[in-house]
Amino acid sequence: MVVRESGRVRAVLAAACVGGVLLAGPAALTAAASATAHRSASATSRTTLRVAMDRSGVDTLNPFTAFFNGSLDILGSIYPTLTAIDENGVPGPYLASSWALSSDHLTWSFKIRDGLRWSDGKPLTADDAAWTFNLIRTNTVAGTANGTLVANFASVTAPDATTLVIKTKQPQANVTYVSIPVSGIQIVPKHIWQSHAANLKDYKNDTFPVVGYGPWVLTDYRTAQYAKLDANKSFILGAPKYDQLIEQLYKASDAAVAALKAGQLDYINGVNATQFTSLRHVGGVQTAQAVGNGWTGVELNPGARTRTGKAIGTGNPALTDPTMRRAIAQAIDKKTLLAKVIDGQGQVAAGYLPPAWPQWSWKPSAGEEQPYAPAAANKMLDAAGYRLGPDGIRVGPKTGKPLNLRLGIHSDSSSDAAISTYLAGWLKAIGVKVVIQPMSMTALNSDLGKGDWDMLMDSWTTGPDPTYLLGIQSCSTLPNDDGTGGNTDAFFCDPAYDKLFSQQASIFDPAQRAQLVGQVQDILYQADVDQLLYYATDKIAASSRVSGLITGKEGVDGFYPAQTSFWSYLKAAPVARSASSGGGSTGVWLGLAGALVVLGAGGVILRRRAGADDRE
Amino acid sequence: MSSPAAVAEPAVAAPEPRSGRPFRVPRPGYLISKLAAAAVSFAVTLVIGFVLFNVMPADPVRSMTRGRPVSDAQLAQLRIQLGVDRPMWERFLSYVNDTLHGHLGYSWEYQQSVASLVASRVGPTLLLMGTSFAVSVVLGLWLGMRSGWRAGSVFDRFTSATALTLWSVPTFWLGMILLIVFSVGIGPIHGFLPTAGMSDPTLPQTGMTHCLDVARHLVLPALTMVLVVYAQYVTIMRSSIIAEKGSPYLLTARAKGLPDASVRRHHALPNALLPSVTMIFMHLGGLISGAVTVEAVFSWPGLGDLTYEALKIPDLPLLQGTFIVFSASVILMNLLADLVYRFLDPRVRAQ
Amino acid sequence: MTAAQTTTAPNATAPDATTREPAAAVPPRFAGARRFARAFRRRPSGLAGLGILVLFSLLALTAPAFIGPEQLDVTRVNGPLLAPPSAAYPFGTDQAGRSVLDLLIWGSRESLQIGVIATVLTVVFGSAVGIVAGHYGGFLGRALMHVTDWFIALPGLPLAISLAAVLGQGTTSITIAIAATSWTATARLLRAQTLAVEARPFVERARALGAGNWQIMLRQVLPNVMPLILVSSTLTVTGALLSEATLTFLGLGSPAGVTWGEMIHDAFFGGAFTADAWWYLLPPGLAILAVVLGFTLTGRAVEYVLDPRTERKR
Repeated sequence: MVVRESGRVRAVLAAACVGGVLLAGPAALTAAASATAHRSASATSRTTLRVAMDRSGVDTLNPFTAFFNGSLDILGSIYPTLTAIDENGVPGPYLASSWALSSDHLTWSFKIRDGLRWSDGKPLTADDAAWTFNLIRTNTVAGTANGTLVANFASVTAPDATTLVIKTKQPQANVTYVSIPVSGIQIVPKHIWQSHAANLKDYKNDTFPVVGYGPWVLTDYRTAQYAKLDANKSFILGAPKYDQLIEQLYKASDAAVAALKAGQLDYINGVNATQFTSLRHVGGVQTAQAVGNGWTGVELNPGARTRTGKAIGTGNPALTDPTMRRAIAQAIDKKTLLAKVIDGQGQVAAGYLPPAWPQWSWKPSAGEEQPYAPAAANKMLDAAGYRLGPDGIRVGPKTGKPLNLRLGIHSDSSSDAAISTYLAGWLKAIGVKVVIQPMSMTALNSDLGKGDWDMLMDSWTTGPDPTYLLGIQSCSTLPNDDGTGGNTDAFFCDPAYDKLFSQQASIFDPAQRAQLVGQVQDILYQADVDQLLYYATDKIAASSRVSGLITGKEGVDGFYPAQTSFWSYLKAAPVARSASSGGGSTGVWLGLAGALVVLGAGGVILRRRAGADDRE
Repeated sequence: MSSPAAVAEPAVAAPEPRSGRPFRVPRPGYLISKLAAAAVSFAVTLVIGFVLFNVMPADPVRSMTRGRPVSDAQLAQLRIQLGVDRPMWERFLSYVNDTLHGHLGYSWEYQQSVASLVASRVGPTLLLMGTSFAVSVVLGLWLGMRSGWRAGSVFDRFTSATALTLWSVPTFWLGMILLIVFSVGIGPIHGFLPTAGMSDPTLPQTGMTHCLDVARHLVLPALTMVLVVYAQYVTIMRSSIIAEKGSPYLLTARAKGLPDASVRRHHALPNALLPSVTMIFMHLGGLISGAVTVEAVFSWPGLGDLTYEALKIPDLPLLQGTFIVFSASVILMNLLADLVYRFLDPRVRAQ
Repeated sequence: MTAAQTTTAPNATAPDATTREPAAAVPPRFAGARRFARAFRRRPSGLAGLGILVLFSLLALTAPAFIGPEQLDVTRVNGPLLAPPSAAYPFGTDQAGRSVLDLLIWGSRESLQIGVIATVLTVVFGSAVGIVAGHYGGFLGRALMHVTDWFIALPGLPLAISLAAVLGQGTTSITIAIAATSWTATARLLRAQTLAVEARPFVERARALGAGNWQIMLRQVLPNVMPLILVSSTLTVTGALLSEATLTFLGLGSPAGVTWGEMIHDAFFGGAFTADAWWYLLPPGLAILAVVLGFTLTGRAVEYVLDPRTERKR
């Protein structure tokens, strides 16, 4: 070929240009952006708290239909509630400064604070609260998220601006838990929402700033990116120490951790065990564990039934035998699971309600707890007539079939995968074969509802009011005969449990109620249907430039009390800054050089020897 | 499927648009027939979408309400609202009707209409895909032209080898490597690009600063997509040029004494460009595939990320919605490619 | 064939010893195969690709001999968590304390298995559709090609994602999803080739001698399109491998499985970045890269060798 110089020179120039844009572009942009960042930081001396949004993100900003934790954290900060859970985990004053219960235990009177104003300046009165509660009671869409919380309310009225009267149909002990930040009912301004009540389903509540009342005012939200909130400096429970709060969404948790390390983020609630372990030794980052507000466990199908007692589903009949379930319980080494699966960051579980809410937590009394005792479990099964087959798998005495149990696990959960391998090994040791079935959440729940399962991995978290979590174990949550309805957790149904459960709902003395709640947990523990494995701690990583984010005092076990975004963001305060940010540009060029070397190496490896035969 | 088959195709199959069936000459009904074909394709997409997402008996109500206090009455209400209890044919009819009216169903997960979710995510995806598409087309065509014109030269060997290597890399993995090198920082390298998202919320969200900020966030995801996708365009353009190189008209041009660069630019390029551009449009599906994983890796708030979110549950109506949107856009692009090709082909216009 | 396939990648590595006599076991009557082997040996890039493939196949086949549940079962391993490479663990360990090298080798088994099974499904189905469509022409042929065109119009990954999501997690559904979305290219290719073959005189002859449809398709057409099927399957396999990795990364794989895609998934979502565990993230991606490149190079070399035009030029 003839070389035409002019063409070549031009090509080289063009190549240099394209390459230059590709390579220098990022650097230039970085420089520009960081320059503007510095400028804006010095121009406005507002302090900003940057936190990672819960990974679930925001489903909607409409408090009546929101389910995701990301939404609830925001809504809990921008709308008021009657009460707020205090440091001891019990309801304390918020909108209501005090409350009283009538002697027949049916009428609650809340004293609403005087002189509060919504962020648009309109007065915030008891009437707003009454309107919100009544909307949830009467409008199906408004009841989407929190309908059951007010199902027992007979009426809600506001006789004057500072009094809210709630009458219940039956005595109800948890009324002070119904409207709490994050997990309870948020009270909305009537004057704004009145006009949207008719088409609540399609109302997105995205006119900024959102009119509300709380420690923060929502000023901006970008779908799947971030929410910006301004501090309400006249907040009744104390002004936020920061001027601005930004909740940013990171889908990959490592991205959030990287941002924290790089100083672009101040707080992550919910790092995983691996990240936690590596972050412990990173400078500029403080880590803490808060007691878990939930458990991870495995459920055994005790014989799925409908409300009328008709057997449904394909559950293995061997699991209806309490001896079998007890043997499985004793074959599981929870301590090993805790140590291996979550790196010891949690507690071995026993009671149904998690340790985050100490007033309800229950432990089996001495001698009653089930130890890890595979030998005893084997003996128990021998005695109950489960013969060992030739392949080491036991045979059911009634069915005459080998014990093959399906174990449904969440396919997106690595801890489920790890736990299930351990379970399979341990159950094999007592002559039970486990078939692990990874499933999507929808498929798993669908099988669960139809009773088509033997064992399932399960986990729950709960707020300070245990009613709902206890409720899903009652007979009334079994499905109807046609398969519809019901949200039972594991087809557990025991009349004795139901009796105690309904009793505790109307006991007003906290100690007495706690005692009954303990008794129902005892029944669950003895039934071996919900095998609770561990309570994983809530793992937190925060920048050391912020203090007060982690609320409460460290316990003797090294764990902090349960954290809520409401208090954490309110109490967070900036520490005097000294760290400087920004990476050196040498690193940039090293990185680019590295990338080029990699590309070049690829080219060299593939260097062509004979190219001539391609020419035509 | 995805990108590999897309590259494989031009390499093995005779390039359809060039030597192909007799519709080189546009008939009067041409436009109509193409439109009809696209409409049929879309109809088939609708059917496939419906069958896919409705054959599996899934009761979404439990998934939707798990973890929230709901009463029995509410459960029943939700079932009616979702239409789970209606017969299949009725659901199909209302589904077709709804889709044609722009209603893509109601997401289980987000409790809002799929159409509004899609609308809120379209912008970022268009930005990301448009940028990567433009850059990779320019880069790919230019490199392909250069290396095809001098097939066998060092430049050609290097370009082809690099393209082949990058094309063999899983897109998301390449994204992770770029992320760990340029955002997280490894060894002596300090991360200097953002790890996730589309803009920095601490900066003003308007004006030049915002544009620069978005561009900064765009660098890594776009670079990832470009690096994997441009290879296809190199291959396509390179083979087109090689095919044109043997043509008699080039000999004539050379015989006239035109310099090589001029022959390449004014004679070979226009002829090779046309089939290449058509092929490129036809391979837009591969770009979409890349977008899903790249958006997941970089938390880019687009449609791919939405698909990824929907997968976790899986939120079937949302998946169905994104599936239909993706398919419709590909069908539309193919149609455009077809029409533009017929319109632009000099051999056709000459008549 | 177009000039496109002459885009053969260059290569300088010496061919692997095992690949030197690929045709040694072939009986003498397959003279064509010998000629093929001779020509193939002149394509260094193809040999390099084949070398990579042989290496990984050997690893995959012999893996059970030196890797057992003791190394892979999270309940039995006792290594340090996310430890960097060392003498005991040449590629470091993962979050559960398993050796990344062992995972990588075991992963080659499962990844290649998915890739190969999906390819076989794709090729069998795609070829059947293509040959039938090409042979019968008329209404049946047109109908089959229309169906194929509809599928081509659908974007591959979203369709595969949807399929896998609906079928449920696991290797089976991933395999099906890959096959269901990649057969179209093979079908189109085979139809064109079938038309070409059927226009040749010997098919006319066979028809005149009273050969039935099936006989023509199986005896005349199939042997003649076989080389093309071979070439197209090497390219399908690369697609299948990348798709497997993609779908698994998106969380559609089985969490207990060990594939390269699963490793990348676990590394990305399990905190490998935070721990700067590059040794966990790099190997599976490089392995995919190597195998995909291996298949591509081999496929291109085979294609080049089989191309009648290159034969003429010699």
